[in-house]
Amino acid sequence: MTRAEQLAALRTDVDALAQADEATVLAALPQWDSLAILLVVSHFEHVHDREITGAQVRACRTVADILNLNSSLS
Amino acid sequence: MHSSLSNIRIAGLAVTTGSVVRDFIADGLAAGIDRAALERTAKTIGLRERRVAIAGITALDLCADATTRLLSEMGLDASSIDAIIFVTQTPDYPQPNNASLLHGRLGLSKSAPAYDLAMGCSGWVTGLHQASLLCAHGGAARVLLCAGDTLSRLTNPGDRSADPLFGDAGSATLIEKTGRSTPLHFVLGADGSGAEAIMVKQGGARQPAGPLTERTDAEGNRTHEANLVMNGPNVFSFTLREVPGAIESVMRHAGYSPATTDALVLHQANRFILSTLAKKTGFSEAQTPMSVVEHFGNQSSASIPCALIHGLADRLEAGPLKVVGCGFGVGLSWGAFAGEIGPLTIAPILSLPR
Repeated sequence: MTRAEQLAALRTDVDALAQADEATVLAALPQWDSLAILLVVSHFEHVHDREITGAQVRACRTVADILNLNSSLS
Repeated sequence: MHSSLSNIRIAGLAVTTGSVVRDFIADGLAAGIDRAALERTAKTIGLRERRVAIAGITALDLCADATTRLLSEMGLDASSIDAIIFVTQTPDYPQPNNASLLHGRLGLSKSAPAYDLAMGCSGWVTGLHQASLLCAHGGAARVLLCAGDTLSRLTNPGDRSADPLFGDAGSATLIEKTGRSTPLHFVLGADGSGAEAIMVKQGGARQPAGPLTERTDAEGNRTHEANLVMNGPNVFSFTLREVPGAIESVMRHAGYSPATTDALVLHQANRFILSTLAKKTGFSEAQTPMSVVEHFGNQSSASIPCALIHGLADRLEAGPLKVVGCGFGVGLSWGAFAGEIGPLTIAPILSLPR
């Protein structure tokens, strides 16, 4: 998957990120909560077949950091 | 650990719930939460209503009621029970255990042992394994397995990540020795390295009851040391990591596939988790009862028996059904089973007090 495709898949699976781009600051999103984090964990599992923790997602500041999380696991 | 046990059957099931209906949206609005946010969570997680116990009603009371109704439905006397196993994390007292209290309340024979298993959402399967062992190898002809909790008492109303999830319930399951050789298969496991993902820190010997300091997390959820605190995303990761493998393993031992299995009955954590697990293990949503949580809430160790009754009662009474199931949660721990269940006796799901 290209990075753009990864972003599109993430926006589809995580409603809080539906309008986000790579520079979006997660804490600024009104729907960025434990449910959104759970959806990111689920997204990584079913799209990338990777297990990540809630703490790893919480440590991300921007959407780019979430995408980088996937590259860092490769 | 894998174990296969023969010459046993589940003879009866009953569940009693708390009597107070709590509405997820109404409670959230009263707590000042935005309706759109509530509806988003309700839709994604599958939350609608839960049933909690009134003050003074404990897991012991709920299980005792389920037991009395089941024995009555089956026309059995309590004196025919050879052992009681009580699965709970919310016992009436630190000592004695709930099983002994129920033993006394029902007036069981002095030759019937009574012990608790301090387990939560995986506990009904572990209890079923223990009861099956007693019938298959332990000299018992009929074992009463009670499993239930009042977790709504442990969550903080200010913790929106945990408080809206839990309902209170108690179950009674009768396991009997029989001549039927079709085995029940079990796969049980634990990962204690993740124990802090679901925890009540205060109230045990390590941290006895004392002053409580309420803390607020980054999302505004409030908890103190005597509350049940759950790291939802980490529990979800654990579930995805361990549960599909346990289900696939127990199905291999049973020689089952999703196509030859009638139902996948999982601990009713929430609809999102159940839907994900069904998809990962190759089951359809039609094979996987998942409506308990939206009617009753997450009922801890009572949720699998409640799902069996709520989703499959008529078919189980006519039985047999090939059922695969798995409980998973606090510990962290899991227990999967596979085998034929039914025909059996079911007492309807009722609340206490009525």
